[in-house]
Amino acid sequence: MTFLEVIFRGLWRRPVRTGLTGLGIAIGIAAFVALVGMSAGYEKGVTSQLDVIGIDVVVSNMQGGIMPKAFDETVRDQVSALPGVAAANATLMQMLSVEDAPMMVVYGREWGSFTWDQLKVLEGRLPRDAAEPAVVLGKLAAEVLGKKTGDKLQIETGEFEVVGIVDGQSVLENGAINLALPRFQEVSGYEDRVNFINVRVPPGTDETQTAALCRQIEEAFPGLRAVKAGDVVGTSQGFQMAQAMSWSTSLLALVVGVLGVMNTMLMSVFERKHEIGVLLALGWKRSRIMALILCESAAMGLLGGVIGVALGALTLAALEMTPMVRGFLEPDLGWPLAVRAILIALAVGVLSGLYPAWRSSRLSPSLALQG
Amino acid sequence: MGDRPRSARQLIMSDHAVAARDGTLFEAVGLAKEYDDGRVPALRGVNFRINRGEFVSIVGPSGCGKTTLLNMLGLLDTPTGGELRYAGAALSQVASPAAYRAREVGFIFQSFHLLPTFTIEENVQIPMFGLPWKRAERKARAVELLEAVGLSHRLGHLPVKLSGGERQRAAIARSLANRPAILLADEPTGNLDSKNAAHIMELLKRLQQEHEATLVLVTHDHEVARHASRLIRMKDGEILSDPANPAAPGP
Repeated sequence: MTFLEVIFRGLWRRPVRTGLTGLGIAIGIAAFVALVGMSAGYEKGVTSQLDVIGIDVVVSNMQGGIMPKAFDETVRDQVSALPGVAAANATLMQMLSVEDAPMMVVYGREWGSFTWDQLKVLEGRLPRDAAEPAVVLGKLAAEVLGKKTGDKLQIETGEFEVVGIVDGQSVLENGAINLALPRFQEVSGYEDRVNFINVRVPPGTDETQTAALCRQIEEAFPGLRAVKAGDVVGTSQGFQMAQAMSWSTSLLALVVGVLGVMNTMLMSVFERKHEIGVLLALGWKRSRIMALILCESAAMGLLGGVIGVALGALTLAALEMTPMVRGFLEPDLGWPLAVRAILIALAVGVLSGLYPAWRSSRLSPSLALQG
Repeated sequence: MGDRPRSARQLIMSDHAVAARDGTLFEAVGLAKEYDDGRVPALRGVNFRINRGEFVSIVGPSGCGKTTLLNMLGLLDTPTGGELRYAGAALSQVASPAAYRAREVGFIFQSFHLLPTFTIEENVQIPMFGLPWKRAERKARAVELLEAVGLSHRLGHLPVKLSGGERQRAAIARSLANRPAILLADEPTGNLDSKNAAHIMELLKRLQQEHEATLVLVTHDHEVARHASRLIRMKDGEILSDPANPAAPGP
């Protein structure tokens, strides 16, 4: 028999209680994995989209909401004229309920701009010009909407023909509906207005020069924010809010987990007062008793962590299939997140065991033996 | 494996204490214990000596202080007055009571106190975690001891599957795990019928002699107490009679 076996025998003493406590931690860890996995997936999706399109700087009017406010389209021409800008184009992006789909991303893209370049046509074609009442669907959007080329699609007040299905090479692009900017402005009531200007800088421009360009744009257009592509997600208030919510929900779940394990371990110590007295009488050091309780608690945390990661992965997989999420983001559960979640669960176990372990070490052997 | 406990034992004893091993093992001088801020006296200044290898019974009615005395010999409890010496050294000076209990003492309890989720063999191994023995050494020692008490056919059984007599035999095997110098038995036959009690007492005597251990047994049963070579009678926290100390008041 080894010390490890003694630890597991202690946990096995009350298998239902151990299981339920482990499940309590598992649910907390699953919530953590699901929420952080979602926000990491969103971050990865946006970053990959900007990277695929080749956008260096994003100009928008983000004022605390999830979507940036629309501004005058002519700003695009003024930005294009700035030194250090290789190309600039305007986009109107909205999240709309389209036909039976509860939420879809719709992009009105400037016809002929570089934002169309990365769309690989899988079926059909791109719109012929900016005037054609046509849309191309990302491959995920086509699945969600149940549309194929030649079908009609109602967006707000306008009816469009699906002329092509494309691979946008990123989750956000694949989940989007794309049409020419003037057509989208017309049906959405945002005539002559856009909410993003996408900027490319000349090759060889370094980070410092890009940062200087951002400052220059912000000074020239008060109220607008110019952000380097790599910083878009981090500076998005909507993302920050979602991230804060996911961390605070996870923290709450973990606090509940800590209290659950602590309660279980305290009950275990009180129930095993007599057994601890016997161990002390048989020559076990108080430090060994403390180690036993701490290791039992840590093992419970570890067990909860492993189950929690599995539950979290299942939750993410299920969420990925829902129409609300599909096409917006691809949940990201990588090894770093799984390892982090298990380490957190282990820390929860150890933290929860500290007080019960201390209590166990204070027991008087003669009193404990009396029961 | 056999030499380790003996060398380890020397670590907790002074040279003087080791030198005194062949003579007096325990010496109590004015040993007192009071509970509840002095309102409940359990021991009222008792004096005695116990020699190495002796089998001493301490007999008396419930509440006479015999278990308190036994707990002090095993460092499960501390006196509030007087002094208790072990092999010449004050027990109050022992740096690690746990090491003392692990290396010097084997406990046998009335209620056996076997751990319910461990097999008999594992129960016997429990005290050995206090010594730097390897897993195989612990297992071999447990099997050897359980064979010695006639339980080799019960190694993998949980305590609940054993009779009272078998449980106490397992507890005796456990008490000998670390080759202790002292066996402290608290009413070891208290939960057994007379036939099993007689068997247990014979076994205890035989193993005490084989292991050359000092056995201190407390009981209220005179039939059990008479197995000892020396009988100390107690009442109300005092020693009524002790053959080794004629100065003690007689019954």
